Amino acid sequence: MSTQPFPFLLLPHAWASRNRVRRREKGDLLRGIVFGSIGIVVSAALFYGAYWVTTQLAAYEEFGDYLLRLGLSWLFLTFLAFLAFSGVVTSLSTFFLSDDLRLLMASPVAARRFFQARFARTVGSASWMVVIFMAPVLIGIGVGRCAPYAFYATTIATVVPFSIVPVALGSACTLFVVNVFPAKRARDLLMLMGLGFAVAVVLLLRFIQPERLLRVESLPDVTDFFATLQSPITPMLPSFWAGETLFAAVQGGFDWLHAAALWTTAGAFTVLLGAAHARWHFAGYSRSQEAPKTRFARFRTLDLVASALPLSPVRRQLLVKDVKIFLRDVSQWVQLLPLLALVLLYLYNFRVLDLDRIPYMSGFVKNVYAFINLGMAGFVMATVAVRFVFPAVSAEGSAFWIIRTSPISMHDFLWSKFWTALFPVLVFTEALTIAANQLLGVDPFLKLVAAATIFALTFALVGLACGLGARYPRFNADATQAAGSYGGVMFMIAAVALIIVSIVLVGWPSSMYLMAQTGRFSYRLTPERYVMIVASFSAAAAVCMATWWLAMKSGVRALDEMRK
Amino acid sequence: MIAVQDLVKEYGRFRAVDGISLDVRPGEIHGFLGPNGAGKTTTMRMIAGLLKPTSGRILVDNNDLERDPEAAKRALGFIPDRPFIYDKLTAGEFLTFHAGLYGFGNGNVASRVHEMLDLFELRQWEDQLIESFSHGMKQRLVMSSAFLHRPQAVAVDEPMVGLDPRGARLIKDVFRRMSERGVAILMSTHTLEVAQEMCHRVSIIQKGRIIAHGTVDEVKQMAGSSTDEHLTSVFLKLTGGGALQEIDEI
Repeated sequence: MSTQPFPFLLLPHAWASRNRVRRREKGDLLRGIVFGSIGIVVSAALFYGAYWVTTQLAAYEEFGDYLLRLGLSWLFLTFLAFLAFSGVVTSLSTFFLSDDLRLLMASPVAARRFFQARFARTVGSASWMVVIFMAPVLIGIGVGRCAPYAFYATTIATVVPFSIVPVALGSACTLFVVNVFPAKRARDLLMLMGLGFAVAVVLLLRFIQPERLLRVESLPDVTDFFATLQSPITPMLPSFWAGETLFAAVQGGFDWLHAAALWTTAGAFTVLLGAAHARWHFAGYSRSQEAPKTRFARFRTLDLVASALPLSPVRRQLLVKDVKIFLRDVSQWVQLLPLLALVLLYLYNFRVLDLDRIPYMSGFVKNVYAFINLGMAGFVMATVAVRFVFPAVSAEGSAFWIIRTSPISMHDFLWSKFWTALFPVLVFTEALTIAANQLLGVDPFLKLVAAATIFALTFALVGLACGLGARYPRFNADATQAAGSYGGVMFMIAAVALIIVSIVLVGWPSSMYLMAQTGRFSYRLTPERYVMIVASFSAAAAVCMATWWLAMKSGVRALDEMRK
Repeated sequence: MIAVQDLVKEYGRFRAVDGISLDVRPGEIHGFLGPNGAGKTTTMRMIAGLLKPTSGRILVDNNDLERDPEAAKRALGFIPDRPFIYDKLTAGEFLTFHAGLYGFGNGNVASRVHEMLDLFELRQWEDQLIESFSHGMKQRLVMSSAFLHRPQAVAVDEPMVGLDPRGARLIKDVFRRMSERGVAILMSTHTLEVAQEMCHRVSIIQKGRIIAHGTVDEVKQMAGSSTDEHLTSVFLKLTGGGALQEIDEI
């Protein structure tokens, strides 16, 4: 019997992808168009941004070259940490938790080939986002500097080994922890890594103080800013080697030293990791199959809180069940951590934004920012809702028969899902909006309007997510797949439309009110204008309430119709 | 063909498998019986190479699973209690991939895949995605993959779960035919009727230890039962299910 080379082990994924393309499901085309369009717009923006900055820097000759060189190094440095973290998370799945491991580990596949196939998959899964983000940026730089074709070939030859090094480090970290920690604690590792990553991102951004770039009046600050990124260890990092290799290529040369450093390090790390896997992978895999310890085994606080709530026994049990399942599934709530990191950065940016340096515009800009903030908070809420609320019905999975055969109406079931989700989403988005507006120092009237709008939007978006989640459930899919399904895309489109409509309906009367308050353009509030303001606010509230109510009603009807 | 010697598996302080030894001969169907949580699935997983034993030795076709895992696994077909199959592959693609895992050359794969699909009555579903299969069809597909590479030994965990009478009959016939051809089959099961009907010898495991071992008649004698007595009551006597038996008799 012949031995197949390691790419053979990647065939199921290739075949599965081909089958998915061949047998399109309902909504696949729509999803492709929506996500494809977003991707094209983002890529075009990145390309144009990189192209514009590169052409601007070209005007400064040596200083421009210096900044481009540092910029490239900084770009790779940013992704270095991301790739290492991504390597930890992805290798935990590909080497230890993935379902198909039971099939592969029971097969007579040589440990070396198994490692090669899994590591190739880990590198691919961990780095595709970075590659997709980097491609338009690097092409933009190449076009901006009229780089020769060899630059683009060098780009590929640089990004590949650059991705391998941090992913190998991340995988080694996972291998170590899975072997050291008690069984199934590897999942807890995810939580720790997530928290660590969030904190690291915040600290990194705090450390480099990007707001200093806004002080264009002092050019040396810009060089200081980039100089901050340099340290004695920087030349030892693959990010530096990648930046140097590409900087040489963009000028028509080739930096053999740094390219060789990248490739030899990537090769050495792969060989060392392969040897470590040959020695410790099976022991780690064996441990990862042991039953996990129950987290929140008693969790009396939840039972006490639930018993204090004015709920029927049925709704109370549904609430307790949903909360406990969510808290015990680390893979679910750990996904909140990157979002939390982004929110912290978002608030931090508002704190350091020095709008008072634009004196005659600061009041106006702050109030415009209040509405941008409202839109951002709405979008964050929609993201949370599509990921955590929309799959709530689908999450019942194959256990949904328990609900359907018990004496619970679908009305009670879905409304229980709604109230369970509403409270945390409301607290989270209200806190985000109020904190951001406080840090910005917007007008008190706008603070009130924003808080009230978010309140109404929360009911609407959580209701919409519950309703559409019940209308388009995916019982055999995990939460991420459910969120990316036809219904999930429909929800996101409807949610974005609702957020825009709401902002327009509250933004227009608010601006009328503020103009009258500040006396700008001699604007006064007549009784007719008061009526229009009240009507517009009322319309916003009505749109939100109608969305909430109709979506929930539609969801309940869809669940009832499952019996037919 | 399958030899297990002083096998131990510990999870922290808990000893799930406590020094068991087994020997399944060529052509033998060996029943591996025991109550829930006795250590059956843990043992089967160690034999399949999915779990690392704390101590002990496993030989498949004289290949030590620890020292030469590839050779041992090549000689073994494993049918898990909860099979994983790639949902987005067709039955034909899954079996082709499986054949490749066991080193089948491209030349004779298609005919062998068709042979197995015919044997397990899945030929008409060859080009259908596995996600559209019923539980019983998935079970039969996994079994066909286990026999695809002509193993000398098969370890099967709960083979009859979820099968309709026709499917169960089919599996029994296949196991008998494979046994007649010299394949050693170690079968973990709760279905004592199946064990009584099919197994040449049985081992009963409780709390990680083998408490009875031999032919069905020998096990009955060990329990002090007559040879006419059903295996269920013998099993309950041996595993401490006397109270249940009394309920059964009421």
